[in-house]
Amino acid sequence: MRILVPVKRVVDPYAKVRPLADGSGLDTTGAKFEINPFDEIAVEEAVRRKEADPSVEIVVVSIGAGECEEQLRKALAIGADRAILVETSEAYDSPSIAAELAAVVAAESPDLVLMGKQATDDDNNQAGQMLASRLGWPQATFASKLELGAGKATVTRETDTGTETLEIPLPAVVTTDLRLNEPRYIALPGIIKARSKPLERRPAQTTPRLRTRVLKVESPPSRAAGRKVASVDELISALKEKGVL
Amino acid sequence: MQTSASTAPKGASFFSETPDRIFTVEDFSSDDRLMIETAEQFSRNEVMPHVEVIDKQEDGLMPKLIKKAGELGLCGVDAPEAHGGLGLGKNLAARILEFMSLNGSFSVTYGITSGISQVGLALFGTEEQKAKYLPSLTAGETIGAYALSEPNSGSDALSATTRAELVNGQWKLNGTKMWISNAKWADLFLVMAKIDGEKFSAFLVERDRPGVSISREEHKLGLKGSSTARLVLEDALIPEDNRLYQPGLGHHVAFNALNIGRFKLASMSMGPARDAMGLAAAYTDDRKQFGQSISNFGLIQKKLATMAALYFATEAMVYRTGALIDSAFETWGGTIDGNRKASEEYAIECSACKVFATEAEAWIVDEALQCYGGYGFTEEFPIARHYRDARVSRIYEGTNEINRIFLADRLMRWAKDGRASVTAAGDSWISELAGKALATKPTDQIRVGACSDLVMLAYAEQSARLRAAQMGGAGAAMYDLFLNVANARAAEAYQWATGESVVLPAAKSVDVAELARRVAECRGPVR
Ligand SMILES: Cc1cc2nc3c(=O)[nH]c(=O)nc-3n(C[C@H](O)[C@H](O)[C@H](O)COP(=O)(O)OP(=O)(O)OC[C@H]3O[C@@H](n4cnc5c(N)ncnc54)[C@H](O)[C@@H]3O)c2cc1C
Repeated sequence: MRILVPVKRVVDPYAKVRPLADGSGLDTTGAKFEINPFDEIAVEEAVRRKEADPSVEIVVVSIGAGECEEQLRKALAIGADRAILVETSEAYDSPSIAAELAAVVAAESPDLVLMGKQATDDDNNQAGQMLASRLGWPQATFASKLELGAGKATVTRETDTGTETLEIPLPAVVTTDLRLNEPRYIALPGIIKARSKPLERRPAQTTPRLRTRVLKVESPPSRAAGRKVASVDELISALKEKGVL
Repeated sequence: MQTSASTAPKGASFFSETPDRIFTVEDFSSDDRLMIETAEQFSRNEVMPHVEVIDKQEDGLMPKLIKKAGELGLCGVDAPEAHGGLGLGKNLAARILEFMSLNGSFSVTYGITSGISQVGLALFGTEEQKAKYLPSLTAGETIGAYALSEPNSGSDALSATTRAELVNGQWKLNGTKMWISNAKWADLFLVMAKIDGEKFSAFLVERDRPGVSISREEHKLGLKGSSTARLVLEDALIPEDNRLYQPGLGHHVAFNALNIGRFKLASMSMGPARDAMGLAAAYTDDRKQFGQSISNFGLIQKKLATMAALYFATEAMVYRTGALIDSAFETWGGTIDGNRKASEEYAIECSACKVFATEAEAWIVDEALQCYGGYGFTEEFPIARHYRDARVSRIYEGTNEINRIFLADRLMRWAKDGRASVTAAGDSWISELAGKALATKPTDQIRVGACSDLVMLAYAEQSARLRAAQMGGAGAAMYDLFLNVANARAAEAYQWATGESVVLPAAKSVDVAELARRVAECRGPVR
């Protein structure tokens, strides 16, 4: 079985970032970059499958500039077998990413694409769904549990009304939720071993056609100070004053 | 870019020359950073949530943590690959150690078993000795200890009275080793003893040998979770093969392990300082007085900004030194003689790092506690523990007094032998003062100590200056603030060294509020 795990390079979700003065993007000087945490969960899940069944092959792919090698090496250190860097300096939106991933899928023929449900930088939550629809494959999103059987996957997903268990035939696209697993510490020998695992650079097969464009990035306006009220009555009249009640 | 071996500057050359560039933490590769990240995650998730039970020395907890660290490859980063280590550089091992050291008690336990207890063996052991003991130490399955001090022999380490005699093909050891870190859970002790009461030598003593026992735990001010006890040797018998290195040359083992140990202790003392900075930044943002966060107040901002500047300079000198040590091992390492030369070459820098880093740590944890006000003085908040734990850093691995004496003495001795130059580079005001002070050829201890301060400050200033130029960004502001602090300290040291008056250069103007804000943003040292 071959599992394809797309990983996105994102700014460390815990770092504070500021917009560039001209609002054209984020000031990332000195910022730390990480694997999108949802994607890291996908890598971890794939590695656990491989530990249970050594015939599993894990291919990680990242679409972006040369620096993405860092995140791919990290995925290799966690335990992926090989990496593909689709090298491009273009901007992508979710539909364009789905299109390029579809090209990778065509080349690699994985049995399962396991990917983060969203990336912490844009929070779009659509690339996985779009990819499944492009491929005409079944999809299961927000997986909090995953079991792989012969030719099928059983996926538990958490919904507002309770947990839902789906069985889908493979090949399929599964997107990961935070609860799926807790990624391991990366062992130092694994990091050394990752240096000699194959990492292939490929040009993009598609040209992104952006349907959404970022016009401007700015900090949210700072919140004006509130005021304290002494009693419930005062609160109610204050709310009425503001027209919220 | 690692300093290449062939062009590596000679020991103490910082004093008379200015290099074009130095290795800084910004130069660690992305692989290195991944390893460092593993260490930080380990500390944050496995150690920091449990510091209270660690301080109670809960049964079996510490060995379990060491084992877990070993499984991740953390217990033998710079140990030879042939014996279970990863064979990586000492600089990277030290940076990993810094992040494994966020809690003092765990730091000593880990630092000793992965460091000073192994390094003697790795550098001076025979292949058989290494093959026998290193694999389990590097795996974290066994724990090591280093036993030099005695009740009546501390700073004056060579006055040790523990004896060894060869009896029927076995060494018989008698004596008491005091203050032995890891004693409670150590499996292997590197013991210094005198053969027939004369020849200072090193021995590998397994815990379960006949005649080996451990006394009760010392009741300490801090580092309560680390084990410190006496190793008592009463007709202890160990195999003849367990003497390490040559008879009478135990001081090579002991002191070269200490050179590397001092360099590594600098990293160990930066870990708690790093954590304390993060705590102080978060607390001062949170705490409101006079209707606002206390982090808005100038005197609080001054504390945070000065912490960042001190940390910046410490980091610059420590990891510059580590890269130098690595280059020395690349050039000479491999044979026992080569290892000895390599661990000795930067002894002056190692002492400077030890003293400077431990005093920076002391300042940072003290001012971090001050940021907490009365709450800092209670056990409800984590800063009191850092304050207590940090105290010992200035005492062990050679007290800061002993390191000061050693530093200037050695530099003057090397100058006499033509091995180093005491003609100052003059690349800073501090360097000029240091050159003038050393030219007086001081002999009494007070002046010698003051000269050491000047040499140390010159090394710190030069390292911080080069790093700031290389990294850009916030480096310039941190350097400027550090320079103000270092110049004032240098003026005082110069007065002690020479008795002469001195006029301080004007202070650089620094945006303290901005620097303090960066500390808050980075939750600790500014990157
Ligand atoms: C928690 C802890 C853990 C330790 N772990 C270990 C360990 O694992 N292995 C080990 O071998 N040792 C260990 N030590 C011992 C430590 O290295 C010694 O305490 C240290 O070297 C100082 O020796 P001392 O305590 O005998 O002090 P002393 O040597 O008695 O010094 C007392 C004071 O006098 C000063 N002084 C001494 N000589 C001079 C001089 N010539 N000129 C000027 N001032 C001087 C010292 O600087 C100090 O301020 C540990 C100590 C502690 C507290």
